[in-house]
Amino acid sequence: MSEQENGGRLFFDEHQWATVEAAMARIIPTDDQPGAREAGTAEFLDRYLSGIDYVYAKPDGSGFEKLEGKRAGAWRQRIDALRGKYAEGIEELDRRSRARFDRDFVELSEDQQDEALAEMERPEQQKDLEQAQVATGYGAPPEPAMQQTSTEIELDFFPLLALHTRQGFYSDPVYGGNRDRVGWRLIGFEGPESLAETHAGRYTTRPFFAEEQIDWKKENGHGS
Amino acid sequence: MARKPKPEKVDVCIIGAGASGGTAAKVLTESGVNVVALERGPYRKKESFGGDELANVNRYNLWPDPILNPRTYRGSNDEEPREELFCPVPQMVGGGTVHWQGWLPRFTENDFRLKTVAGEVPGTTLVDWPISYEDLEPYYTKVEWAFGVSGQAGANKYESPRSKGYPTPPMPTTNYARKFHEGCNELGYDSFPTPMAALSEPYNGRPATALSAFAQQHGDPTGTRSSALSVWVPQALVTGRYDLRPDCYVHEITTDEHGRAKSAIYQDADGDFIEQEAAVFMLGCGAVESARLLLLSRSGRFPNGLANGSDLVGRNATFHEYSAAVGVFDDPIHAWAGGGYVAASSFEFYEHDDSRGFVGGSHIAAAGVGIPLPINWSLPDRPAWGAEAKRMDREYYDHSFAVGMVLHDMPQHDNRVELDDTVEDAWGLPVARITLNPHENDLAMGRWVIDRNAEILDAAGATKTYRVYPERVTGNCSHQHSTTRMGDDPDTSVLNRYCQAHEVDNLFVVDGGPFPTATGANPTLTIMANAWRVAEHVVRQRGSGRATTTAGKGA
Ligand SMILES: Cc1cc2nc3c(=O)[nH]c(=O)nc-3n(C[C@H](O)[C@H](O)[C@H](O)COP(=O)(O)OP(=O)(O)OC[C@H]3O[C@@H](n4cnc5c(N)ncnc54)[C@H](O)[C@@H]3O)c2cc1C
Repeated sequence: MSEQENGGRLFFDEHQWATVEAAMARIIPTDDQPGAREAGTAEFLDRYLSGIDYVYAKPDGSGFEKLEGKRAGAWRQRIDALRGKYAEGIEELDRRSRARFDRDFVELSEDQQDEALAEMERPEQQKDLEQAQVATGYGAPPEPAMQQTSTEIELDFFPLLALHTRQGFYSDPVYGGNRDRVGWRLIGFEGPESLAETHAGRYTTRPFFAEEQIDWKKENGHGS
Repeated sequence: MARKPKPEKVDVCIIGAGASGGTAAKVLTESGVNVVALERGPYRKKESFGGDELANVNRYNLWPDPILNPRTYRGSNDEEPREELFCPVPQMVGGGTVHWQGWLPRFTENDFRLKTVAGEVPGTTLVDWPISYEDLEPYYTKVEWAFGVSGQAGANKYESPRSKGYPTPPMPTTNYARKFHEGCNELGYDSFPTPMAALSEPYNGRPATALSAFAQQHGDPTGTRSSALSVWVPQALVTGRYDLRPDCYVHEITTDEHGRAKSAIYQDADGDFIEQEAAVFMLGCGAVESARLLLLSRSGRFPNGLANGSDLVGRNATFHEYSAAVGVFDDPIHAWAGGGYVAASSFEFYEHDDSRGFVGGSHIAAAGVGIPLPINWSLPDRPAWGAEAKRMDREYYDHSFAVGMVLHDMPQHDNRVELDDTVEDAWGLPVARITLNPHENDLAMGRWVIDRNAEILDAAGATKTYRVYPERVTGNCSHQHSTTRMGDDPDTSVLNRYCQAHEVDNLFVVDGGPFPTATGANPTLTIMANAWRVAEHVVRQRGSGRATTTAGKGA
């Protein structure tokens, strides 16, 4: 299938892939611990944009759901919109890189890449971005996400890229990112071995509860 | 397309199979009443749920997809509405209880008479409830014992009298509950284990609830949490009198020549339109969608929507707002353990106190930051990207928790749910448009409570705290109320004290719509207790031959 012809890529062409991977590596950089590159976030995104075959993993980890009906239609519409944003966003990133440094984004030094990305996150977008994030509690919001889901197609290229990098870094490895659970390990999230563990009810977080239980009645002194 | 035969008329048709519709179905069917339930969403079984943050929280696996089910929002009557996923709740059998963690505190006596306690509040439509805590107390107990709620009677110093304790003890203590408790003790505040829709030990033939990081905003693959899906629906089904029809979206309720509700017109999974007649209709669609359905149901007799002669359907809408102070600690908190919401609470700021300069109060509780899982975790000063963002994730993710508040927003005449003029859902129906401008009292309460919450975090040893003041009401709690207020006066309310429409005697609303005020606590225990009370009333009325005299057949 095309996966082989395309060197494992499902949606991006070679240049797009390289650009996205390089940009993601600045969003979650590698230091003494793995970053976006090691987690495979570009692969995560490439799969996501490939169509509607990788939207929802089956809850026991045994493959992906086949979407049907209105749901499938909505996802096609969403993925189409996102593809457009990526194709244009990558061009724009290169255009700015060339205007400023005379080279495509992938050929810039890390510091130059940071500058180019910071420019993409330009101030007039900043306000919209923050508004979108407050409203959606999503991505890397200026406020902690409370309890509400997102409308990601409203986001511009850069916030989308930052969001998808984060998703690829921290989502269940079944989606192609968070390889070897590097994201979870980095921050100390003791997630399940696999989706199947949670699905079967074998995953438990009991060891991470308090060692000592509170005896509420006694401690409050007004128990009935 | 082959026409499907028209189904037989039934005793009671319940629209919605969530928290309220599920409770009513259980009570009615167990009392011998035949029920048809029309639920627009699918009937998803526990096998279809899993621990997948990306799917469940970020990709609308359970949340409504805004492309199919948009809503619009505006801050005032003069603003242009914009599409926004305002106050979404999952649409499927089980409704909002499918992917909650379920904090289930009771309201207190004064919640039912806040106007008497606090007086007039200019700019609001604050009222007392037509029923009292005493009226609901037996039903609180029934729900706590039938649904399965873990908690400890008497641990909350401010709770109102209860006739019985909880069926199972509090859930195990989390580190964030402990820290919160320590902070409260330090400041002399009362705290207690949050009563939860979960079982701390086996009860009623059910096993104890599994402790997973994937709880809040995730369906429960083990079926061990207490939800309408895992408790009420199976209990109703087992009676053999519950005809549950998933994937059936009600577009309209029709009326007969006497102005009584006659039938529900719904579209099934094949896209076919079907008419279901019933002697009694009960709406449990959630306060936004029940109001929308009434507004969609126009007729010569009810040109502005069913039961809306008063122009009050959709008005006085309240939603709460979840906001929090966030603390960072040196020692690990593991706020993701138990889904981030196996918590401790305080009602220290719950009762009204004139000296605070605002009316009402708020339930506060410890919780993970946002969704306590990695993708959606953040801190207010965390940059969107780069080395610093990574550092903060690494150092603070496992070391932070929030003290959240349930903002008691005041009812206002112009805060309302209407039909949008331009935006339609994927089924071609006008969507709900929410107009909502917070009252100064709401914002003042938010500032004051968040300041106290930050002090609790400080007292618990936080090295750094953030105060996230609510700036507007976004519906981020998924709590909705007051769009079909109950009251004794038909000029100021849509429903009577039995949640029966003043204008349509065989029409009841059992979700949060009847609540005259929002109160400062999570609403669903009270929604279910009230639905139980109303369902019993319908059974009684039926026995006495009223309201259901036109029923086609008895049970
Ligand atoms: C993530 C999350 C966490 C929550 N946590 C808590 C908590 O801790 N404590 C608490 O008290 N509450 C909590 N809630 C809120 C709680 O879920 C709701 O208060 C409760 O579900 C409301 O019950 P309901 O019966 O009014 O509506 P729902 O449970 O929403 O049920 C309404 C049902 O009606 C269906 N419906 C709507 N319109 C139609 C139509 N036209 N035709 C057919 N069917 C229709 C819907 O699909 C839905 O299934 C939470 C909600 C969410 C989403």
